[in-house]
Amino acid sequence: MKKNRGHLTPVDVEDALRDLQSRTLAKLDGDFARLIYLASTRDYNSGRYEHDGLKFHFTSLVADQALAVAHREVFVRLALSSLKILVRELDHYIRSGYARPDELLKNWNDLEAYRILSPAQDDPLTIKLFISNVKIALAIVGSTWKDAPPNPDPQCASQLPSPAR
Amino acid sequence: MSGTVGLLGIGFLLLVVMVFLLRKSESGSGDLQWSASYNSTQFEDRRNALLDCIFGPDDWTFVLNQASKDVRRLFLRERKEIALYWLSEIRGQARAAMRFHLANARKSQKLQPMSELKLAVDYLSIRVKCALIGAILLVQGPVGLRWLVRQAGGLSDQLRGLLEVVTKMGTLQEKASVPD
Repeated sequence: MKKNRGHLTPVDVEDALRDLQSRTLAKLDGDFARLIYLASTRDYNSGRYEHDGLKFHFTSLVADQALAVAHREVFVRLALSSLKILVRELDHYIRSGYARPDELLKNWNDLEAYRILSPAQDDPLTIKLFISNVKIALAIVGSTWKDAPPNPDPQCASQLPSPAR
Repeated sequence: MSGTVGLLGIGFLLLVVMVFLLRKSESGSGDLQWSASYNSTQFEDRRNALLDCIFGPDDWTFVLNQASKDVRRLFLRERKEIALYWLSEIRGQARAAMRFHLANARKSQKLQPMSELKLAVDYLSIRVKCALIGAILLVQGPVGLRWLVRQAGGLSDQLRGLLEVVTKMGTLQEKASVPD
C-alpha cells in the first residue's frame, strides 16, 4: 500500500484524506469533535501532524499533509459557520463527550484551550473570528448549562480527545 | 540598502497575494504547484464569507433573541475588535501596495500620468473609506454594521483592484526601468 516514499503527490494525499475521513472522522460525532481530534494529532513542538495508521498505509509526509488538509477543512467550515450553528455544535460536543460539562466550560473559559484548535497556516482574520465566536458560543452555552442538569448518560468520554491533550 | 530589500520583500509578498487572488485552480504537475493551487482555491469566496460573518446581521439577530445582556455586550465588543482588525489589514495591504508601486515608479522611465493619478485617487479613496468605517465603528459601535456589509465588500474589491493595477504597472515599469 505504501507508495512513493519520500515524495508527495496530490493522489497520495487525496487517498490518505479519503481514508482518514471514512475510517476516523466519520466516526466522530460533529465537527467540533473532529476539529479537536485533528488539532490533537499535531505535535506542538514540530507543528507536524502524526497518525500511526495513515503513516503505516502511506508515508509520514503524506499523513502530515492529509491531516493538515482535513484540519483546515473542518476549521474553515466551523469558523465560517453562523454563531447559531457554532453554538449548536459546541453544545452537542459538550453533551456527548463529557460527564461534567460545568468542569469543561470552566476550563475552556479559564485556560482558553480553544486557541490551539486552529491550523497554524490559516488566515489570521479567520482564526481571530473563530476564537471570538467560540468565546461568545461558550458564554451562550454556559448560560444554558446553568439551568440544565448534566447529561446522566454521556457517550464514552474517553473516545473524544480534549484540546488539552 | 536595507530599505530597498524591505521594499522588494513587500513587493514579492504582494505578488504572492496577487497569485492567490487571480489563480483559478489551474492543474499543476509538481508538488509545489499542487500545494499552491490547493491553498488558493476559493480564496475570494472565503473573504466574502468572512465579511458576511463579521458584518452580517444573522449572528446579531441570534444573540439578540437568545442571549443575556452580558453576552450581547460581549458579542458587540468582540465584533468591533474583529472589524477594526480587518480594517487595519486593508489599510496595511493598501499601504504596502503603494510602497511597492512607488519603489518601482522611481526607477521607471515611462511613467503614465493618468494611470498614476488614477492609482493615487484609488488609494486615497480606500484610506478615506477605512477612516470612515473606523470612525463609525468607534462612535456608533457594531450596531451600525448592517449597512457596512456593502461598504466592506466594496472596500475589499477596491483593494483587490488596486493590487491588480499596482502589479500590472509594476511589470510594465520593470521592463522600462533604469538600471542602477
